[in-house]
Amino acid sequence: MSIKSSILYLLISSISFSQEHILSGYIKDGNTGEALIGASVFIESESKGTSTNVYGFYSINLKSGNCDVKFSYIGYKDIIKTIKLENHKRLNVELIESEDLLEEMIVNSKQSDENTTSTQMGKVELSMDKIKTIPAFMGEVDILKTIQFLPGVSSGGEGNTGFYVRGGGPDQNLILLDEATVYNASHLFGFFSVFNADAIKNVSLIKGGMPSNYGGRLSSVLDITMKDGNYKSIQADGGIGAIASRLTLQGPIKEDTASYIISGRRTYIDVLTAPFVADTSAFKGSGYFFYDLTAKLNWRLSDKDRLYLSSYFGRDVFTFNNENLGFNFSVPWGNATASLRWNHLFNDKLFVNSSAVFTDYNFAFEGGSNDFNFRLSSGVRDYNIKQDYTYYHSSLHNVKFGWNYTLHRFIPSSLSANSGDVSFGDESVVKIFGNEYAIYLLDDWDVNEKLKVNLGFRLSMYQHMGPFTRYYKNPNNGTTDSTRTYSSFETIKTYFGPEPRLSARYLLADNSSLKMGFSHNYQYIHLASISSVSLPTDLWFPSTEIVKPQVGTQYSIGYFKNFFDNKYEASVELYYKDLNNLIEYKENSFPEDNFINNVDNQLTFGNGYSYGAEFFIKKRLGDFNGWVGYTYSKTMRKFNEIDNGEWFPAKYDRRNDLSIVSQYQINKRVNIGAVFVFATGNSLSLPESRWFSLEENRIITVWSKRNQYRLDPYHRLDISVTVDSNPYRTITNNETNETEKVKKKFTSSWNFSVYNLYNRANPYFIFFDASGDPLQGTAEFGASQVSLFPILPSITWNFSF
Amino acid sequence: MRKLVYILILFISGCTKSIDFQLPEVEQIIVVEATVENGLPPRVVLTSSQGYFDPIDSNILNEIFIHDAEITLNDGINNFTLQEIEFNGIYLYTSLDFSAMGQLGKTYSINIDVNDKNIQASAKIPQSLILDSLWFEKYEAYDSLGFIGTKFTDPDTLGNCYRWFAQRINTYKYNYPPPFDNVKGTIKDIRPLAPIGSSTDDKLFNGLSFEFAFPRGEDGNFEGPDDEGIEEGFFKTGDTILIKSTTTTYPVYLYVRAMENAAVSNGGIFGSSGNLPYNVQGDGIGIFYGYGVSYDTLICE
Repeated sequence: MSIKSSILYLLISSISFSQEHILSGYIKDGNTGEALIGASVFIESESKGTSTNVYGFYSINLKSGNCDVKFSYIGYKDIIKTIKLENHKRLNVELIESEDLLEEMIVNSKQSDENTTSTQMGKVELSMDKIKTIPAFMGEVDILKTIQFLPGVSSGGEGNTGFYVRGGGPDQNLILLDEATVYNASHLFGFFSVFNADAIKNVSLIKGGMPSNYGGRLSSVLDITMKDGNYKSIQADGGIGAIASRLTLQGPIKEDTASYIISGRRTYIDVLTAPFVADTSAFKGSGYFFYDLTAKLNWRLSDKDRLYLSSYFGRDVFTFNNENLGFNFSVPWGNATASLRWNHLFNDKLFVNSSAVFTDYNFAFEGGSNDFNFRLSSGVRDYNIKQDYTYYHSSLHNVKFGWNYTLHRFIPSSLSANSGDVSFGDESVVKIFGNEYAIYLLDDWDVNEKLKVNLGFRLSMYQHMGPFTRYYKNPNNGTTDSTRTYSSFETIKTYFGPEPRLSARYLLADNSSLKMGFSHNYQYIHLASISSVSLPTDLWFPSTEIVKPQVGTQYSIGYFKNFFDNKYEASVELYYKDLNNLIEYKENSFPEDNFINNVDNQLTFGNGYSYGAEFFIKKRLGDFNGWVGYTYSKTMRKFNEIDNGEWFPAKYDRRNDLSIVSQYQINKRVNIGAVFVFATGNSLSLPESRWFSLEENRIITVWSKRNQYRLDPYHRLDISVTVDSNPYRTITNNETNETEKVKKKFTSSWNFSVYNLYNRANPYFIFFDASGDPLQGTAEFGASQVSLFPILPSITWNFSF
Repeated sequence: MRKLVYILILFISGCTKSIDFQLPEVEQIIVVEATVENGLPPRVVLTSSQGYFDPIDSNILNEIFIHDAEITLNDGINNFTLQEIEFNGIYLYTSLDFSAMGQLGKTYSINIDVNDKNIQASAKIPQSLILDSLWFEKYEAYDSLGFIGTKFTDPDTLGNCYRWFAQRINTYKYNYPPPFDNVKGTIKDIRPLAPIGSSTDDKLFNGLSFEFAFPRGEDGNFEGPDDEGIEEGFFKTGDTILIKSTTTTYPVYLYVRAMENAAVSNGGIFGSSGNLPYNVQGDGIGIFYGYGVSYDTLICE
């Protein structure tokens, strides 16, 4: 059946289902017109409910007659509407923010009992308002660091936004910003994420049992939705922090019809330090900054059509200049994304979103001295089109299906250099093209009152396309024995990936449930990293005839329980994950080896596995709220050309990982937050022996097998205090002499954070130093541990008007 | 890139502290460093490895050398048995047979038997390279300091590898702060020294003729009087420099590149904490260098 005829069938079948009527519509914020994601629609008389999708749309089948429908969203006043259903009905609802906020925690469940009732395992939604009140590194609110406090998610390192989910690599996380893939989500070598919290509406993380509408990655999906912009009035928000400032403007283009939001952020370490660098200094001109710009436009074209155009542009620029050494370089890198989306309602049951998405990430390192100059660059660019259909078949079935096509263009590395008038390496810019296709179908099916399953299937395909030149290298002298050249659009290799997905929930007595998940995923792109931390130099590389797609299979099972009228949520999840066709650079590989060569000739291939148990307990409501997450896990890797194929712990193998996050609302204006984390130290290799080279007059190190030792454990306590200005002013009515409170237009808040309160010197890395002259017997050998951040207080002022 | 990140870390680094590791005792490994180059006798140094944190004292030279090895060198036709000799406390195996001297274009192999262990390796002496020209390239900010500029032409066959050495054969004209307060009158470099980045292959400049500037290298782990401060990395007006430009083989280039990289990164996060790509086989580790050497002299003016 073709896609067209499938749609036709669904249109007809949806019309023919007339025993029930459909109630559908959009739920929005009454003040801003912003669509509310995950708002709840509940009909008590029928014990039925649903929630809004990412565009704020809901649809539910109900019996004819009168009923009360409750619309609710955390932090907003409930609205109950009595409706008489005789036909399909469209009902758009605007909810108003509650003055007395329920103190829902940062990690937000849509419905109070969703923890136990949904089929989804390992999915977490983050509430942006509340993220802003927990302690933030250098006062910069960061969603990527917040998700690292969840069980099963490990940090990439001190202050690092890189994250690892259930033993998967950092490349195995699909990070989407309004549906555009973000390849490198960090600024400043990972210390800050590229997402400006002011422009973000919703963050959803899926770490297990990925539904089949997502694909292309093995471990997790981080789906970030940008704000639409205020449809009602012009609004400005901003903040002045220790290292960066930000400003967001939003407002209507046409009230209730079209809106915009534009948000910018820039660091100013370079600006602040510039006056202190003397004009005569050899370092004049050195500095670092990053900035990002986020913008979005929305049009409600009709009741059935909406158009969204969103974009992101961010750059890091590091410049180093040393006149004494006669050497300078600059390192610009960053992402750009744009997505155009069109929502269309065919009818009350069939919703479609069509998207055209562009994403680009590139990195360059350029510099020189005297007459010698060079430029090293790499990047990835995607052109993506897709359609996602949601078919609200009946109250028992919620069906999603769609297709996706991406043209990938990778530049693994290009190097050009010149010395005087002579240029080298101009011909070495290699572009690699790939087509990635996927179709999927899933059904969220209420089998009976207790059993609910989410059954899905995704079929993906990847083609490595020409033009391409394959180099067959001579291992003895590094020269090229032969080459094979493929012409443009010639298919070099095709891979198919059948990806079954299944998750199920079985309701038990006492507000608890048992859930299981199975997912089998293919990933056609890889990240090759030379260093042991995530750096922008890491190369994104596609599957080729040598590099097979990564394949991951995850099995998970969990017990979920809510206590005390859903005030507390708890869960225990066990998982086992099997990973195949992973890549690593061979030992002693260097980026320059990629020239007049194929990057994949430097790679070695292997497998991995991870298993773990995650424990989570959360107090959702009340002045004092928070959670404790603990994970025990083991993550191992094996590569043919590393230690003769023996298993070794992955560098992010964390046996124990504990996070405690808490908040206390002292009064309506003052909130304090605290975060404590503890993690087993990273695994690492150590020098076990040494020898002395008389030819080089150097100590040469002989290393242990890979990752056989551990750094000290990592632990840290952060605290923060957020003080809001009084949002009201009192006015007196001259006629009645009565006073009343009026909401101020201008509100602000101060956030005081202290990172690493007890000044723990956590290990960031170890370096080994040999000094002196061994022949004179004066050599000394030492190991030193570098810790990055001592106790770091910061202060940020946020405002809104 | 590594340099860049280190600089960054210096900006934000909280602290660095010494730590102790309790490493298990590991077996001693036999290490081979063998060299053939045109016009010189072959030399082989056999040492054994020590635990990384084992203390070093002045007795070190008595402990590390491996004696009484049976070493045979083959030049493709003839076998030469190498003799162990001692020079200034350093033991090496060599042959004083005139026909065992390195010759351009020849491939040499060695076989080592010691303590019931066997190690083999081979190395080639490639045809040497004649530099087109050499000059002292003063650095603009300082009128007396500079690099060595050179122009050379790479043959139009891919796979040529090079390594650069330079030795200042003049003496220090003045003393430096302690412990270098009596260096006046001593020769500046006791042997040809290679700067970091001394070796390259020709994949980026195959067949091209171009100019390049080399900084001054240090003597491995040893810090000389002018290896800190403003003179670091520079040659100086008045220096007489013996330039040893060599051609070498791909395995030696890979080894030198990895060894120099390790020397810079000290095994930090940006180093690949992997072992060097040795080119000896059998019951040991090590490197067999083959160099096609040509010499020039430059007076810095």
